[in-house]
Amino acid sequence: MQFGVIIDAFPYLLQASIATIGYTASGIVVGAALAIVVCAARFANSILFQRAALAYVSFCRGVPLLVMLMLIFYLLPLIGILVPASVSAVLALGLCTSGYLAEMLRGSLTAIPRGQAEAAQAFGMTGIDTWRRVLLPQAIRTCLPQVIGEFIALMKASSLISVIGISELTRVSMNIAADTYRPLEAYIGAGIFYLAINLCLAGLGTLAERHFSRGIIA
Amino acid sequence: MNMLQTLWHYAPLLLSGAGVTLWTWLLGSVLGLAIGASVALLRRLPVRPLQWVLRIYIEIIRGTPFLLQLFLLYSGGPSIGIRLSALTAGVVCLGVHAGAYFAEVFRAGFEGLPKGQIEAASSFGMTSFQILYRISLPTMLVAIFPSIVSILISLSKETVILSIITVPNLMYQVQSMTVETYSAFSGIAALAVFYWVFVECVARFSALIEYRLTLFARRDSAEVRA
Amino acid sequence: MNKVPKIAIRDVCKRFGTLTVLDGVSLDVHQSEVVCLIGASGSGKSTLLRCINFLEAYDAGEIRIDGHLMGYVDAAQKQRRPMSDRMLRQARRDIGFVFQQFNLWPHMSVIQNVMEPLLRVRGLSAEVAVKRGEVALDRVGLTDKRNSYPLRLSGGQQQRVAIARALAMEPSLMLFDEPTSSLDPELVGEVLQVMKGLAAEGMTMVVVTHEMGFAAHVADRVAFLDRGRIIDVGPSQQVLHESKEARVQQFLQTYHDRTNF
Ligand SMILES: Nc1ncnc2c1ncn2[C@@H]1O[C@H](COP(=O)(O)OP(=O)(O)OP(=O)(O)O)[C@@H](O)[C@H]1O
Ligand SMILES: [Mg+2]
Repeated sequence: MQFGVIIDAFPYLLQASIATIGYTASGIVVGAALAIVVCAARFANSILFQRAALAYVSFCRGVPLLVMLMLIFYLLPLIGILVPASVSAVLALGLCTSGYLAEMLRGSLTAIPRGQAEAAQAFGMTGIDTWRRVLLPQAIRTCLPQVIGEFIALMKASSLISVIGISELTRVSMNIAADTYRPLEAYIGAGIFYLAINLCLAGLGTLAERHFSRGIIA
Repeated sequence: MNMLQTLWHYAPLLLSGAGVTLWTWLLGSVLGLAIGASVALLRRLPVRPLQWVLRIYIEIIRGTPFLLQLFLLYSGGPSIGIRLSALTAGVVCLGVHAGAYFAEVFRAGFEGLPKGQIEAASSFGMTSFQILYRISLPTMLVAIFPSIVSILISLSKETVILSIITVPNLMYQVQSMTVETYSAFSGIAALAVFYWVFVECVARFSALIEYRLTLFARRDSAEVRA
Repeated sequence: MNKVPKIAIRDVCKRFGTLTVLDGVSLDVHQSEVVCLIGASGSGKSTLLRCINFLEAYDAGEIRIDGHLMGYVDAAQKQRRPMSDRMLRQARRDIGFVFQQFNLWPHMSVIQNVMEPLLRVRGLSAEVAVKRGEVALDRVGLTDKRNSYPLRLSGGQQQRVAIARALAMEPSLMLFDEPTSSLDPELVGEVLQVMKGLAAEGMTMVVVTHEMGFAAHVADRVAFLDRGRIIDVGPSQQVLHESKEARVQQFLQTYHDRTNF
């Protein structure tokens, strides 16, 4: 093995790591926005909305990311939407993760005692204020650890967007492997970066958890 | 050609692809369960270096993407003398990957065993073998069943990725079909629906089994087992 | 008294599916009066209280607060519709509700809990809300806990915060649903003390309680609910000591047996 290859590749892998984190974060943001909508639909009074949300969640969880990626990659041009591959990638990541995020959010929401919303109602607070001030802040805090877990999982899954030519950690290591004819070293290098990002995220997660759990955990 | 004719024309290829997908999933699962159980058991041995090695295996596998692991074995392997066919590399990779996740689940299962039940069993004079088979294992299996299923489902979705290293599975065949017919979307859409239905079926079926397994814990149906 | 009662409950019925929980309840509560609702578990006390501020929608009958129909647009029984959310919120602003489980919002500090309804519902500025909140906390004797999170407080302290939160809204009427039932016995006193103070200041209060001592000494009147009906109501001494209803006597007897060990 020639570890020199890894050292030479270091700056490229570092840059690619930032891209990986960026795509993952964008995916989570898109996914979270979708998740809030889907979750609202699951709590809606209309059976139709509930069913639709349920089907959506099961679809997102059933379809592998690679398939979702291809689906969007081919679907968008078909319906006349021409966007860069990076947008397709973020959309696919967001769709895939939104089903999981919606379920996490739902879990945290149902864990909040009913009385808390009733107290808000009894004071004459609006439904929107009750959600915005009482329910969501708590739900988001209690599902934070799971969301961080999901972030890490999505970060690893995001290696698949390399197949549509997105230049992230896996793609860059493939290029390095091809250029240097040292695939073993190139992939080990990428692996080291994935592990490092993992550690950083987990650490940040612990900090965030400690910060946001104020009050919720006695 | 319309969609149906296309599908009919490619049916043999698609069927063989589906076969490969199922086969890799099954082999990967069995290999993964075997690795996971062995690792979990070995980790209980009081040998420090061994514990370290196993811990590192688990952390590395769980900390890196499956695709990267696949590349490492399939393209990186030959430079240290490991030459595997795409199919073998794929199955080995699935097994090694799932093994790390299974190992963690089994470990949690061991640790979660309620001490009191074991003490109760030994107070009646049951042998440790009897305790393992009659008390520990059944309790543990019921407790970890949902986690096992969720890993199996994830693994079924990971099998798609093998198409990237040219394992001729369903994804691979659908893609080669779409290359020839220029109707990329419909093929992928059909594949998405296939996976959706498959995963949903597995999830429902296992929920049913889980319900049967945990009947004893439900008050409303306490008599069903009696 | 021929003034309009603070609360006028007329023939109120409430069903959950096929279960009739309130079966024609009528009761007047006058300005500055303290009325205790007692009765066995499941007799419908909480449901009645929750109907008063329309946390539960009653099916038939009327509940009027200061003469205004609660929860429905004033119209003949058959064709009435629930009032708009806006009107309902307006009606609820002036009714304080204290729950058995406190229902403080755990992610907000004590003072934030007290300020929240003032900011959102009364539309006060933060400065004014802080001042009012501090006054309310002072009344329940918890000024020093203003920056704590609720789950770090004892049950009695949490319930006092919940009372302060309701008080800060300056309600004209307060409803208490078993405010001491989830407290350890030695913490019950501090909460009852606060409630006694409120009664002395002339607050109109409806209190569901199993604290017969409070009912006997603080309540002006006691109403006894049994299977969704008020079977006895009157001055507290009369209901608690001289009731002619066998069901009431029996309930109070088991109560005495349990407390006089
Ligand atoms: N949301 C609901 N859905 C269905 N049934 C309900 C609901 N709320 C209350 N009930 C039923 O209505 C009946 C009266 O309940 P309520 O809570 O008013 O009793 P209570 O007198 O307050 O009893 P406790 O002293 O135990 O609090 C009970 O039989 C209860 O099971
Ligand atoms: Mg009650």
